[in-house]
Amino acid sequence: MPASTATTWLEELRTTAREAYAAEPVPSWRRSGFWTTSLRALDLDSLEARGYEPVGGLPEIVTGALGQAEHAGLIVQHGQSTIYSDLDPALAEQGVIVCPLEQAVEEHPELVRQWYMRRLSHQEGKFAAASAAFWSGGVFVHVPSNVKVDRPIQSVYLIDEPGTAQYAHTLAVVGEHAECSIREYCLGANIDGQALHAGGFELYAQAGANVRLAHFHDWGTGDIYDISTKRVEIARDAHVDWVPIHLGGRLTKQTLDIITAERGSDMRHTGLYFTERDEHLDLFTTDRHEQGHTTGDTVWKGALTGRSRASYEGLIHILPDSQETHTYLQTHQMLLSSQAKGDAIPSLIVETDDVSASHGGTVGELDEGQIFYMTSRGITRSEAVRILVEGYFEEVVTRLRDPGLEELVRHRIAEKLKAAEDQVAEFIGERAEVG
Amino acid sequence: MILEIQNLHVRTEEREILHGVDLKVEQGETHALMGPNGSGKSTLANTIMGNPVYEVTEGKIRFDGQDLTEADPDERARAGLFLAFQYPATIPGVSVANFLRMAVNARRDEPIKVKDFGKMMREQVELLKIDPEFVSRYLNEGFSGGEKKRAEILQLAMLKPAIAVLDETDSGLDIDALRIVSDGVKALSGPDMGTLIITHYTRILNYVRPQFVHIMLDGRIVRDGGPELADELEQKGYEFLREEVAAANAG
Repeated sequence: MPASTATTWLEELRTTAREAYAAEPVPSWRRSGFWTTSLRALDLDSLEARGYEPVGGLPEIVTGALGQAEHAGLIVQHGQSTIYSDLDPALAEQGVIVCPLEQAVEEHPELVRQWYMRRLSHQEGKFAAASAAFWSGGVFVHVPSNVKVDRPIQSVYLIDEPGTAQYAHTLAVVGEHAECSIREYCLGANIDGQALHAGGFELYAQAGANVRLAHFHDWGTGDIYDISTKRVEIARDAHVDWVPIHLGGRLTKQTLDIITAERGSDMRHTGLYFTERDEHLDLFTTDRHEQGHTTGDTVWKGALTGRSRASYEGLIHILPDSQETHTYLQTHQMLLSSQAKGDAIPSLIVETDDVSASHGGTVGELDEGQIFYMTSRGITRSEAVRILVEGYFEEVVTRLRDPGLEELVRHRIAEKLKAAEDQVAEFIGERAEVG
Repeated sequence: MILEIQNLHVRTEEREILHGVDLKVEQGETHALMGPNGSGKSTLANTIMGNPVYEVTEGKIRFDGQDLTEADPDERARAGLFLAFQYPATIPGVSVANFLRMAVNARRDEPIKVKDFGKMMREQVELLKIDPEFVSRYLNEGFSGGEKKRAEILQLAMLKPAIAVLDETDSGLDIDALRIVSDGVKALSGPDMGTLIITHYTRILNYVRPQFVHIMLDGRIVRDGGPELADELEQKGYEFLREEVAAANAG
């Protein structure tokens, strides 16, 4: 069967998505109160997909983030091109697949077709359509049933030139009773100009599978826009522990959904964000329970400095006939600057009885009582602030259960706090005098 | 070294709470400051430590000849003052051990060697009959009342201040916890530490015997005496004293 025939189904999907893209307006997102996410400043027509040749060594920004730890497999996409693809041959022999999605469409058409876009749709707005229509390279991960992968499977999307439009798609399928850890990095150089990452991510954890998933976003100080949808589906008795981390980007608008789709499925979802300067972050997560006897635990924590804006909305949605669902969502946001603004909104839709679902949200500032306590032990005020903010995030960071990545996140948070030291000192100083 | 409080007037945003307090605590001495709820005991403790919630409008706090009235809390701590809090703050994400190490290092030029710190901590943990697992928990997070007080005394033991103020360290403790905390305070007391025990009740004074007792009513110290004053208070209660003071003022 010639390849062109094998991929006809994909071409048809791309065509439909392209039409949707052309028909859809550039969206903006409004909520009650002051919150609007607008793309007015984004000059979409000036952006283009950029190709790169594979290189011998990886760019420094990638090696810096990945660290020295061994991986099971690694895919690096630079702009629209896969520049690096690697998989431990011993795992390949066990049937593990880690390769560009483009390649998987050719080599494993039935497998890809079975799962591709099961939970994503090109009908979710202009940028979901764009990524479905225009993605290239991409990432495909498949861990067959009963296979346990002991080192992380890693993928990287890199943007390092202004004017880049990057359309991304990651599809991960983890078979029954398989176990693995997947980490995806979205990395940007500190570019001078605009760029766009429009991505789709889908993970299917089949019955009894156990997956640890981390997303690490650090788009740098340039004007990189990230408009993405990430969805995780958890089948019967499977467990996914998902930790998304957001540490930088001019504007990020992400929809993050975690679906406990069958009885016994269980998830833990723990997120972290730190915004600074004039960054704008808009996150909407849904903890969706489609059947009974499912469980969830969601915690999101953020901090804001500079004139940044951050909004986190977390919805628990329990569908009809999902009795015996137990889930919990907590979100906290800490303001560290008088000019930053944010909100943290937990919400709940319950369409069945006999469930337990609780949610809570706080937006606050550093507690003067805690600062006084620490300074009374001889610790300086600025040191106390640093310790408190790092301690506040520690609950999330330790949930990564990955020393290398934990250190990277701690290091970046410390850097951001250091950069904002003067304004934070001024902010809490003003408040101390008022007190 | 002497902690010397002279004519101290203190207010919050709403009102004046201390109306001229005088008190001297010397290294090696044990003092008890007693008074009913709302008399200003905790305000005094917090003001000694520099809590920014309280404003000193008149008077001085001197320590070792230095005027600390306007000093930041961390300067006071490094000078040798310590406050065991009535309601210690929770510090999420920071373990007891890490916090102790940061506090110990805050008063040193060179950071303490990890090995030396570990040894020092193990000794104090043993002395205070604390479960060694305790120090890896986040400071005060999910601690019982007794555990919080024990964490305060552990900090006291590690930081070895010249003057320690214990703000209602006895409140909310059952008899066993009270004994452990009192034993800890007794073990730490000596020629190098002065102690100001602030309490509503006399029961801690059965374990830690003060040389000096002061009684505070409505923002003033109304009586100074020896340990017999605590016994008198035990028998007669605060109301009796209040009437006596009112009568003296009227006369």
